[in-house]
Amino acid sequence: MSSRGPRVGRSIAEKPATAEELARRLHEAAEAGLAVFPVGGGRAAEMGDPPARDGIELRTTALDRVLEHSQADMVVSVEAGITLEALQAELGRSGQFLPIDPFHSPGHTIGGLLAAGWTGPLRLRYGSPRDFLIGIRVALPDGRLASAGGRVVKNVSGYDLMKLHYGALGTLGVIVAASFKVFPKPLQDVTVESTHESLVDAWVAAERALAMPMPPAAVELFSNGRVLARFLGSPDATKRMVADLGWKAVDAAAWDLHSKSAPARWARIAMPRHQLRSIVDNLGADEQWWASPGTGIANWDVAGGADGVRAVRTAAGAAGGSVVLLAGPSEFRHDAGAWGTPPATLHLMRRLRSAFDPNHVINPGRFVV
Amino acid sequence: MPLEKAILEELRRSVGRANVIDSSNDLRIFERDASIEGAVPDAVVLPANTAEVSAVIRVAAKHRIPVVLRGAGTGLSGGAVTIRGGIALQVTRMRRILEIDPIAQTALVEPGVVNQELSLAAASHRLFYAPDPSSQKACTIGGNAAENSGGPHCLYYGVTTNHVLGMEVVFADGSVQWVSGDAPERVGLDLCGVLVGSEGTLCAITKIKVRLLRTPPSVATLLAAFPTIEAASQAVSAVIGAGIVPAALEMMDQVCVGAVEAHYHAGYPTDAGAVLLAEVDGIPESTFELMAAVRSVLAQNQGYAMREAQSPAERDLLWAGRKGAIGALGRIKPNYYLHDGVVPRSKLPQILSAVGEIGTHYKLPVANVFHAGDGNLHPNILFDLRERDVLPQVESAGEEMLRAVVELGGALSGEHGIGLEKSAFMPWVYSADDLDAMRRVKDALDAHGIMNPGKIFPDPERKVPHLAGRTGLAIEAKWW
Repeated sequence: MSSRGPRVGRSIAEKPATAEELARRLHEAAEAGLAVFPVGGGRAAEMGDPPARDGIELRTTALDRVLEHSQADMVVSVEAGITLEALQAELGRSGQFLPIDPFHSPGHTIGGLLAAGWTGPLRLRYGSPRDFLIGIRVALPDGRLASAGGRVVKNVSGYDLMKLHYGALGTLGVIVAASFKVFPKPLQDVTVESTHESLVDAWVAAERALAMPMPPAAVELFSNGRVLARFLGSPDATKRMVADLGWKAVDAAAWDLHSKSAPARWARIAMPRHQLRSIVDNLGADEQWWASPGTGIANWDVAGGADGVRAVRTAAGAAGGSVVLLAGPSEFRHDAGAWGTPPATLHLMRRLRSAFDPNHVINPGRFVV
Repeated sequence: MPLEKAILEELRRSVGRANVIDSSNDLRIFERDASIEGAVPDAVVLPANTAEVSAVIRVAAKHRIPVVLRGAGTGLSGGAVTIRGGIALQVTRMRRILEIDPIAQTALVEPGVVNQELSLAAASHRLFYAPDPSSQKACTIGGNAAENSGGPHCLYYGVTTNHVLGMEVVFADGSVQWVSGDAPERVGLDLCGVLVGSEGTLCAITKIKVRLLRTPPSVATLLAAFPTIEAASQAVSAVIGAGIVPAALEMMDQVCVGAVEAHYHAGYPTDAGAVLLAEVDGIPESTFELMAAVRSVLAQNQGYAMREAQSPAERDLLWAGRKGAIGALGRIKPNYYLHDGVVPRSKLPQILSAVGEIGTHYKLPVANVFHAGDGNLHPNILFDLRERDVLPQVESAGEEMLRAVVELGGALSGEHGIGLEKSAFMPWVYSADDLDAMRRVKDALDAHGIMNPGKIFPDPERKVPHLAGRTGLAIEAKWW
């Protein structure tokens, strides 16, 4: 049973210094029948349903090392508690970066980002971490540490367990380390903007940017009629795209500001790309939101209550999409439900969860499964 | 062991009498894929649709008979070999492209659709399907999804898993489910992600929704010669290190170039120690700028005799040489044994010299043709099966090469899969706990172990049977 009201007590906060210690504490908690709430930067602390029972908080923030950054191979391995900013600083010294730009920044840890599955505008060009996560290590409630994947950019040795852990909110194991394929910083990085009185015009402008012969790396559309586009590539190519588009150049700092966005009642709408507009158009004229029309995702600052979320969710579901709550007071999340109707494969997901966390030690009641 | 008559009858009722093969001569056709080990299935079943796949798997589940999915049989790791007998479920009758949606830029295909047919069908919309294994003229999208196949252009575009949006699958109990779909996020666990690349050990794939990409308006392809394979390897690292990720960056050594040139007359420089094939695409401005940058880096790293394709026909010829390289190697020896280990890119010079030494040690010619940009090797050990005692030598040489890959921090397979061939080596890279985690997934989704048994996981009872089965008998009987 989910509990109402304030967050269920997280009596003890622990901060293991090593992955082994974290695995041991997880195991001890499991043996003692305690729930465990893994916490990284706490940026996605309100994602999901309110937890079903009390437990201890296991913080990963002491696991903050870069384990190996092979510049020539463009591969990096890190502990889960390192912040995205610290990792980008390390990679930046050799002209590289990890193309993740999540909202509610700064302060995300890598482990938290992987567990929560949050993405940002650059997903249009680079995909999500699902696409460039090449290795993972997790602690299991039975105290074991298990790895999958490796440190090479292409690998089909065994099951792709990275995919199972990505976005699973830790329910199949607490992520303690991860390896990524990283990318060279683009030769040129240009941001342009156009603003529109009418949203109809703004959607048209966004689609026009998306259809450019060299596709933009990010296009964001805001409920106030503003459209931001980012072109990455070689100098002449970006120059031509910007000239052809004819929008106003703006400072790249616009993206930093955008990445701080974090509505108090926050719903993520994910639709087949061409269904996104019809759902967003029906949110209502007073609602605040921003969208990535190229990927089919919108972030909605929910002004109303649970009824509104349920109504949008019904429409989204009918068009093949979903509405998931990323933040909000626990009562709101409880009333609206964080995830909506579970998928038809729920019984298979339950079997997988039982195989790794049979007693629902990690984040009980919070995830779909 | 032949199946009981009653079981064969159940299978015939499931797919029609004509679509069950059980005569021993006919079954032999299905004993192998493109790897070297073989085993004859007890029956071959050719379903026409999802309902028939489900019906066949229900029969297999009821009688606990192994089910091994099979597409074009071009796999290189024994994934389609019925090593524990049972049913070979051949999906090549399911070969319809069900939908190409030019607006959403997606395609829905049946598993037996040939990889290249999809790109050809999408071409009229100026779209293409990015993963392009060298066997793309024959291999199926279903097989590609099962193995998470790659190809030369995966350097920039990513491998199969990055392009599969969703799948309709049949699980080991015969149940049919869609996993993932057109939306960018799913609710719950990413079943699709773990099923892609599971080598037929978790489910049968009956429909695949894939992403199509816009055909780039401009492509530039460059062939460059290098005095040595080491110099070419350094050049690869230098290109990537300069912040350029080409669409493809492929290497061929001298042995390979000789065979390719004799066969295709593509103008490959046969005096070179190695050649690189580099391709960039995009809008004309970017291909021009990137190709100029690539040329400059290659020239600084001993590249010479650089030749850029001046027409689509010339580009196709250069690629025909690369993609047909393994076939051309038949000019040197009739058989090959091919591994596809991956090393960190900066370790290419070391692994290539190790591969060369191992070949010399075993007195076996080795030809390298591979995805250099990804660090994904393809050493082809060339041999003649009619030389009686050569096979154990070949396998030992292959094993040593993979051992060297692992010692350099690499992976057992980049795109061919573990299958039968490399399952015994999995403990080289994964601990018992790592393998146990994978085993939990297998047991959760296929409790009775009927889906492609004997693959991926090390099998302690397996005593390296080499050419067990009819292929071995063929040699014994001097059928050559």
